[in-house]
Amino acid sequence: MSDTLISASGLTRYYESGEMKVAALAGVDLTIERGAYVVLAGRSGSGKTTLLNMLGGLDRPDTGSLMIAGDDVLVKSTAERAAFRLHHLGFVFQSYNLIRVLSARENVAYVLQLQGMEKKERFALADHWMAEVGLQGFENRRPDQMSGGQQQRVAVARALASNPDLVLADEPTANLDSHTGESLMALMRRLNEQQGTTFVIASHDPAVIASARTLVNMQDGQIVSVEGKDTEAVKGDTVS
Amino acid sequence: MLALAWRNVLRNGRRSLITISAVALGLASLIFLWGFNDGVHNTMMRNLQQVIVGSVQIHAEGFFHHPKLVKTVPDAASVINIIKDSGIDQYAYRLRTFALAAGRETSEGLILLGIEPEMEGQTTRIDQKVDQGRFLQNNEEAACVLGETTARNLNLTLGDDVVLLTEDLYGSLAAEKLTLVGIISSGEMGIDRGLAIIPLGFMQQMTGMQGRYSEIVLQLPTDQLESTTAQLKQALAAKRASYEVLRWYDMYPMMKQWVELENAFYYIFLSIVLVIIAAGIMNTVLMSMLERMREFGVMMALGCGRVKMAGMVVAESLLLGVAGILMGSIIGLALVYYFQTAGIDLSGQMDSMARFYINPVIHTEIDGEHLWDTILAVLGATLVAAIWPSIRVARLEPVEAIHHV
Repeated sequence: MSDTLISASGLTRYYESGEMKVAALAGVDLTIERGAYVVLAGRSGSGKTTLLNMLGGLDRPDTGSLMIAGDDVLVKSTAERAAFRLHHLGFVFQSYNLIRVLSARENVAYVLQLQGMEKKERFALADHWMAEVGLQGFENRRPDQMSGGQQQRVAVARALASNPDLVLADEPTANLDSHTGESLMALMRRLNEQQGTTFVIASHDPAVIASARTLVNMQDGQIVSVEGKDTEAVKGDTVS
Repeated sequence: MLALAWRNVLRNGRRSLITISAVALGLASLIFLWGFNDGVHNTMMRNLQQVIVGSVQIHAEGFFHHPKLVKTVPDAASVINIIKDSGIDQYAYRLRTFALAAGRETSEGLILLGIEPEMEGQTTRIDQKVDQGRFLQNNEEAACVLGETTARNLNLTLGDDVVLLTEDLYGSLAAEKLTLVGIISSGEMGIDRGLAIIPLGFMQQMTGMQGRYSEIVLQLPTDQLESTTAQLKQALAAKRASYEVLRWYDMYPMMKQWVELENAFYYIFLSIVLVIIAAGIMNTVLMSMLERMREFGVMMALGCGRVKMAGMVVAESLLLGVAGILMGSIIGLALVYYFQTAGIDLSGQMDSMARFYINPVIHTEIDGEHLWDTILAVLGATLVAAIWPSIRVARLEPVEAIHHV
């Protein structure tokens, strides 16, 4: 029995550049099942980051519909979308984007704090996730006291700490060396397999693409192919 | 959120310290200026009351504006009992009329004031304004104290005879020869010119007004002025005769109006300083905000609501303001306290007129109302300073903020 997490239909997004109207997304249809591990691949400008932003409720399409975890994301107000992100989504960004004045533990616990969890409980959970991403002993370090790879692991821990339905990662290895990048991808794959958390990763890094269970190739704002070991979990209307 | 806001304040410690110092300096200056201002004003109001006017005067109805010898305080003995029952121990009664004083060759119209020297000394400080000779003594008869301008106009010196002519109770001319025993130099024209002070008993005998008084002067602590006046009015209203119970500023409103006007100017000055403080804080908060655009974007992406984000910016502004207020209050109050004791010597900058109202050495003091107004205004300025940055943060779009360079 299928368990659809994301159901996007006819997503379009246009950006204006001077008098030109550029289609960042040109009618994307995409269905992703729970527990999938999807990489959106494509060159710069292919629309993968725009699609990721749509899925994260950070941007709105000009047309189309989008259901995540049974919720119509597009009818939600700004505040409702923020609350939706807080309880259903996790994010990993290209530049780590940890909060500089917080320790690693506090960064991981930040989302839990926003959810209203008690300090003792959220710190215990944060420590658990720090250990899970291999950073036991780094809990009290500030971001500027950690390497890029370590910071990105903290970001992964932060994304997973609230047990979200979906983790969205935008070029998570872009600022990491290849070895650290591969290690991070192995971590995310492991967490996907162990926790069953759905991952959607936008990247053009070959190491990330190689790690994909399902690869969605994008070009000019459209899905051009869906391939990989787990294509059943992902359905995209492709164009040829 | 407060902890995060505080860490953000400390993120650029030097910039925050400069902002906090600017707030502190502004507030400390305002507190000190209020201290100086209130010190001068309170001294002026105290001097007016303590030298001769008193805090409150009780007369027969209408006496103050139309003084007549025969318009005396009705049933003065029971009025004095009411005063005593009110717990007031600084009071004096006087007799007042108009008179003509004749010197060697000239004469001058003046106010003739009959006083009880001991009682007057316990109530006012007019005796301390005697510059030559001495003040009146108890049980003294035909002795007179004149203002220095009157004495000069009449060409009189200490020990000379002064002839006073006035009307008695029946409208007949009463004349007495008195000896000039003291000359007052107060700096106040109304005292130095046109006032003769003589013993109350002698004046009552001279005018046929034995046992009668024109005014009863009370000296009250400032914080009891309103309540005691109301209490006295209530008690006297129950009597059959009509009285007027006048506070010092009912009699001399210009002084109070002048103080209020000057305070209003200070409030204008305060608002200018507040604008500068608000601009300083807003600049710091805005710079801090621009540096953290990506962070704000990330926080929004993670699910932090716009209201919370705006609240954090307001909290940062408030923390800067509160830190500045604490520092500024300590410095400002320390300055006020120091100069309250040490005083500021302005004797070189004052003419004699000023000396009646303003002491040559100004001792700072600050009214609680002015202190709180100023502190709350600075706190308000920090809140106002946060409005624009917090609106900007609340309006951020996460995608744009995350990719902000």
